[in-house]
Amino acid sequence: MNSKDRSETQAFAPESRTALVLDGRAGADPTLALIHEALLGGLAAGGWAVDDWALRDDKIAWCAGCFKCWTKTPGECAHHDGGRQVAERWVRSDLVVMLTPVTFGGYSSELKKALDHVLPTLLPFMQKRDGETRHPQRYDRTRDLLVVGTVPAGETDGPAARTFRRLVERNTLNMQPPRWTAGVLESGANEWEVGVAITALLADVGVNAAQDTEDARRMEVLA
Amino acid sequence: MRPPQTALLLIGSPKPGASSSESLGAYLLEDLEKRGLKTQTLKVAQAVRTEEATQGLYAAVAVADLIVLSFPLYVDSLPGPAIRALELIAARRAAGSGATDASPGPAFVAICQSGFPDVDHSEVALEICREFARSAGFEWAGGLILAAGGMIGGQPLAKLRGMMRSAVRALDLSAEELAAGRPVPDEAVALMAKPAIPKIGYRFMANRGWRSQIKQQGEGASLEAQPYA
Repeated sequence: MNSKDRSETQAFAPESRTALVLDGRAGADPTLALIHEALLGGLAAGGWAVDDWALRDDKIAWCAGCFKCWTKTPGECAHHDGGRQVAERWVRSDLVVMLTPVTFGGYSSELKKALDHVLPTLLPFMQKRDGETRHPQRYDRTRDLLVVGTVPAGETDGPAARTFRRLVERNTLNMQPPRWTAGVLESGANEWEVGVAITALLADVGVNAAQDTEDARRMEVLA
Repeated sequence: MRPPQTALLLIGSPKPGASSSESLGAYLLEDLEKRGLKTQTLKVAQAVRTEEATQGLYAAVAVADLIVLSFPLYVDSLPGPAIRALELIAARRAAGSGATDASPGPAFVAICQSGFPDVDHSEVALEICREFARSAGFEWAGGLILAAGGMIGGQPLAKLRGMMRSAVRALDLSAEELAAGRPVPDEAVALMAKPAIPKIGYRFMANRGWRSQIKQQGEGASLEAQPYA
C-alpha cells in the first residue's frame, strides 16, 4: 500500500471509537455472561475498540461524597484507587455500556460503586435546563449510552423493570448522551434471544455490525 | 403496620463524618425515641465493610420493627454502599435467616436528600427503596424527599430550626404517625418537598460557594479544569 492508497483508505475508514463496558455482575450469572459476550462480539464486528471493565475484579472505594473532585483536584477523584480511573475512562470513551442485574429497579452495587465516580466529569455549577436544575458537563466530548439489565423471568414489564428504565432516562437527563438506549432482558434468555436484543440495542446507538463490515470491505478493496 | 417498639436508622451517606442524611435521620429517630421507641443507628458504609460489621447489620435489622434509611442522592439513585446494604439484607431475608415467619414484616421508610433544589431528581431513588421493601418482605411506610439538602451541611436540624422549619415539621408529623403504626402522611411529604428558599436563590448561592472554594486554592486553580481532555 502506498501513501496515496493510505490516504484514500483513511477517507473511508470509520473513526476510531472506544466503548467502555462497565460490567456490574457480582458473580456468575449465565444470562449476563451471554449478554456480555454478545455486546463484545457486536462491538468488535462494528470495528470498535473495547475497554471491558469487570468491576468486581477491581478495588474501587465507595465515592465518599467529599466533593474534592470539584474543588481540590477539579476533574479528578482525590483518592488514589480504581475509582479515580472511572472519570478518565468515561471521558475517553465514545460509548458507555452498562451491564447489571436489575437490583430493586436500579443498578447493582458493583456497577454503582463505579458510576458514583462519574461526578468529576461534571462541573459543580448549577444551571436551569428544561425546567430542572443540572450540572454542566466538564468536557465538550460526548458519548452515547447503552444500558442492559436482567430481571427474573416474566418480569420485563414489572415494577422493577419500569423503575430501571426510568432510572436510565434520569441518568440521560444529567449525562446528556447524544444517543441512548436501555434494555431489560429475562434471566434465562437463550443465546438467540440475547443476540437479537443486543443487536437491536447496539443499532440504537449506531453500532451497526453489518454496515461497518461493509465499510471494512470497501476499505480492503481500496487497499 | 403495627405500632413499632424498636427503630433502626441506617445512614446511607458514605461520608465518614457528619452528613445531612444523618441530620435528617437522627432528628426523626430522636423524635421516635421521645415517643418510647428503642432506637439504634448504623452507617451503611461501615456496616458493609467487614463480615463482622455485616453480622451486626443483620442483627440490628432482625430486631427492628421500623427501619429508616436516610441517604443522599448519588447519580439519580442511592449511593453504592447503601445499595450494597440493601442487597445483603434482601439476600439474608430471602435465605430465611432474618424473616419473621408469617407475621407482618418490619416497616421501611426512606428519606432522600439531594443537593439539587428540585425534588424530581429523587423520585426514582424512592421507587428503588419501595421496590426493595417489596422484594425483601418489608412493609413500605413511605418516603420523604428533601431538595437543597446542602443547606443542612451536616448540622443538627434543631440548630437550623427556622430555615428548615418545613422539614422539621415534616419529620415531627412522620414520627407521630409512624410511632402509631401508620405510614408517613401526605402532609409530611408535601412539607418536606417545600423549598426552604427559592430555587433561583439556591442556585446563585451554591454557584457563589463553589467559586469561593476554588479561590481558596490560589492563583491558577480552576473549577473547570479538564485533566483528561
